[in-house]
Amino acid sequence: MVGLTSAIIGGGASIIGGLIGGSAARKRAEDAAKETRRLKRKLSSLENSRQAIINPYAGASNLADLATDLSSRISNPMANLSVATKAAEMKVEQSDIALANTLDTIRATGGGAGGATALAQAALQAKQGVSASIEQQEKSNEDKRAAGEAQMEQAKLAEAKRQQGIQISEGQRMQGLDAAGKQFVFGQRENREMQELDRTASLLGASKAAAAQASADQTSALTGTISSLGGIAGGLFS
Amino acid sequence: MPAVYFLKLKTKMENNNLLQNTFLKQFNQSDSIAYDQKYISSPRDFNFQLLDNAYRNMGKVYAKIKIAIETNKCQSEYCSIELAQLKRLEEAPQSSLDFLSLLMSQLMITEEDNFDLNNDFRYKVANSLMNGRPGFSKTDGYNVSLTLLENGSQEIYFTGPAFMESVPDPYDSRFSIQLENPLIINSVSLQALIDSETMLIASTPAIDKEMDILLTEIGLFAQEMISEDGKLNSQAKISEEFILKNSDGSFDYEIIDLGDGKGKNILKFNMEKISQKINPFVNAEVEGLMSSEQMAVAAWNVYISKLTNDDSWSYEFDLPLQQDKKVLFQTKYKEYFMENYLKQFITNQAPIVEEDIAVFDLAQAKQADAQKFLDDNNLN
Repeated sequence: MVGLTSAIIGGGASIIGGLIGGSAARKRAEDAAKETRRLKRKLSSLENSRQAIINPYAGASNLADLATDLSSRISNPMANLSVATKAAEMKVEQSDIALANTLDTIRATGGGAGGATALAQAALQAKQGVSASIEQQEKSNEDKRAAGEAQMEQAKLAEAKRQQGIQISEGQRMQGLDAAGKQFVFGQRENREMQELDRTASLLGASKAAAAQASADQTSALTGTISSLGGIAGGLFS
Repeated sequence: MPAVYFLKLKTKMENNNLLQNTFLKQFNQSDSIAYDQKYISSPRDFNFQLLDNAYRNMGKVYAKIKIAIETNKCQSEYCSIELAQLKRLEEAPQSSLDFLSLLMSQLMITEEDNFDLNNDFRYKVANSLMNGRPGFSKTDGYNVSLTLLENGSQEIYFTGPAFMESVPDPYDSRFSIQLENPLIINSVSLQALIDSETMLIASTPAIDKEMDILLTEIGLFAQEMISEDGKLNSQAKISEEFILKNSDGSFDYEIIDLGDGKGKNILKFNMEKISQKINPFVNAEVEGLMSSEQMAVAAWNVYISKLTNDDSWSYEFDLPLQQDKKVLFQTKYKEYFMENYLKQFITNQAPIVEEDIAVFDLAQAKQADAQKFLDDNNLN
């Protein structure tokens, strides 16, 4: 073949041998490049048609809102205790009626002023006793209101703590799920990317090796022709 | 250009390429010329002397320019033009080698087993000529020449009987006249074409090999069905998940009538599930082929259109491929794959369950089926 092609092209058998070898090697290089382009595009299509990676925790929601602050419902049951004054008022009225009746009796029987005075003092003492009873009730009520107020503060504090506990606990749970989700997606993506990288690298490695080998063959085939060509050029140009 | 004329021209060119390429292929393969006494009895001149002729006068030109520069007798100021000419001449031999090497690497495509005969037949003639095939010598009227152009590029020029075009005689439409239709290729244009990842001649992808590989990639076969060479082994069967089953988990068989009252079970496949599974892989394969539309056209012409009885596509008139053709290609490619590669695994497949393989009496089987229906529906 070299001999015949040598005649066709002219310029010596070594040039033609190099040309033929170079052409074959060039074709192999072109074929390898073409195959690389085809496989790359195929790979890209396969990657695009894959299902998206789903974060299984993506739907998790913070449930802290479901916890209601109940502190507004806490009240002091002792705040409005009333003082029992009716009995005291009746006692005062009775004492006044008794005094009036006694005074009427003294006047009818011709009693002296000394008796009336003693009676008035007795009535006064009775009224003072009523007043002391009311004061006692009022103080007791005040004590109870203060104690109720203290209890209410304790209850409100406890509710606030409960609320805060729920918020922190839900926040921690959400952060945990978020991190787990991100870790899952990262893991999956990394796996996929590693697979793709491995495949692409292997693919490109093979194609590049083929192209490099073909290129080396081409260079090697044409190297011999250069000196022969030098001969031609030298001959022509001298 | 009127559409009718365009269509006629397209058809004429396609037919001509097909006819000429087929003839050349047969001619080269048939060895018939060995029995042509006229041919073997006369000398053949293959001495085209491509490089010798191209550089024949270049020595003188080179010397003239060199002397002009050295004696300071240049036409241009500072000898700029002469120096550039000298540089071109010095680089020309290497450029010639690169050009011829590139051209021959392209012409080699015409020798591929699955070469698309719809390619321009003149490339196959050029390849025969460059390789000194019988019938393409100077004696047979062929010639090839290389010209160094002023702009530094080079041009190869093929002429001969196959590079003639028959056109109607303008003076008498009953006759036709032969006009020269030489094949001319410029070195810079060819290099630019290759650099832009386009081939001068479309190479047909080996889709038979690609589809063999595709079979292992589509996910219908278990890993153990794939042998070390990456192909399916002889025992390969589609995975059970793609086989149709009854609600009770038993296999839903199709009964084949073997004649003489006998029958046998064969598996039924979930074609919808199979189709869904393979679609992304087939689409990716098509996408890969579309990385070069030339390749897609060649694959269409050589393989796919043959099976589907569609028209072949023209490189000259159908490229770039319109969207409807791309869609058609994808659909038909899948049909081709299903018909030629997948069908064998879904047709007449024997049951997996050992007891269900045996040939049985059809009448008894029908009776058993009827009884099962009654039992299942509490109709006894």
